[in-house]
Amino acid sequence: MIEDLEKELLDTIIEICDIREAIPEEMSVDTPLIGQDSLLGLDSLDAVEIVVMIQDVYGVRVQGQEQGREIINTLKTLADFIKTESRRDTIN
Amino acid sequence: MKLDFVHKQSAHCECGVTSNLINHEFKKSGQTISEALTFGMGSGIFFGYLPFIRINKLPLTTFRCPVGKIFKQVTSGLGISVKWEKFRSMDKAMAALDRELEMGHAVGCRTGGYWLPYFPPSLRFHFNMHNLVVVGKEGDNYLISDPVFPDMVECPAKDLAIARFAKGALAPKGSMYRITKAPETLALEPAIRYGIKSAANAMVKNPVPFLGTRGIGFLANRLERWPRKFDTHTTHLLLGQHIRMQEEIGTGGGGFRFMYSAFLQEAAAILGEQRLVSVSTQLTESGDTWRRFAVKAARNCKGRATENDSFEAMGDTLRTCSRIETEAFKELLDIVS
Repeated sequence: MIEDLEKELLDTIIEICDIREAIPEEMSVDTPLIGQDSLLGLDSLDAVEIVVMIQDVYGVRVQGQEQGREIINTLKTLADFIKTESRRDTIN
Repeated sequence: MKLDFVHKQSAHCECGVTSNLINHEFKKSGQTISEALTFGMGSGIFFGYLPFIRINKLPLTTFRCPVGKIFKQVTSGLGISVKWEKFRSMDKAMAALDRELEMGHAVGCRTGGYWLPYFPPSLRFHFNMHNLVVVGKEGDNYLISDPVFPDMVECPAKDLAIARFAKGALAPKGSMYRITKAPETLALEPAIRYGIKSAANAMVKNPVPFLGTRGIGFLANRLERWPRKFDTHTTHLLLGQHIRMQEEIGTGGGGFRFMYSAFLQEAAAILGEQRLVSVSTQLTESGDTWRRFAVKAARNCKGRATENDSFEAMGDTLRTCSRIETEAFKELLDIVS
């Protein structure tokens, strides 16, 4: 099931990455976002756009490349990162 | 046989191996150093646009110092002695590794990452400077602390041997290294000051126009001419290559700036020098600006550029990075001189 944040992220990614094809039915929160297994056909150039988008929209910064790979692996990992970082900002 | 080695994941393999090996050596004293501190003490931050060096027939851009410098500078700066070995024979190299493990030593190895089977296929590329630490052997499998992975990994002996003797540019030739002697405690302050001074000199006192912060401006000027000089396909190849080097190889341009920012915050606390905190903010701003540039470049490659993503706009963004970093590193020179 795609929750609100994951849905919002998917919509934003579709918009900023200019995806015009229909989203495959098998797309879920756990399918790879980037790379050869991406159902959206996204590559590392799109990944840069996503990293900057989540900083602009959600105010959370992806610091390094290895961390980035894990964070933008799927819609779920991306949403979890945003929730965790937002919570940390609130506590601090 | 497995050493009691604390594995910690890092963004950058050389920094991760350096800090993990040093932390292992100083385990009894309880002193530890972070990846960011290692990066800073090793003067890891840099910029160079080298159009005459070609990777896949496209110019090389580097956002960090030469491979190996961080490990050497940090260990020598902290008074740590290291034994380096290279081999012609694969069998002798693996036997030497086994001997070191039997003596209870954690051993750093340089490898061709492409040949390590625990790398997911999508992340494999030919890079012969991938560092890892071998911390044990069970049966025919080595236990490895590979700093870019979250947990320890296992690797069959035959695959590790192939990775240690990967062919091609910068072939590792079985290179391995281990700490042989270390002082009782880590004296961080002088190593931090030296690391900052050395990095700042390389960035703002470099006489070569395509290196350091001048090099960023040099790239900006070159990049603005690409659409007039090359066809669209070649221009996009040049931009795509640049983004991959910036955001994919190592931790990328933005990532290294963020890591240096984290280093400066740690350094501020250790040296009791609050001015480093404000420079840290400048480095974060620079990292963000590098990423803005990467987005503009990616949009051009993907055919979705807006008027804000023109080559002039990209050049201006790079000049902003150059200006921020020039101010930051001049300030750092003032602080540590």
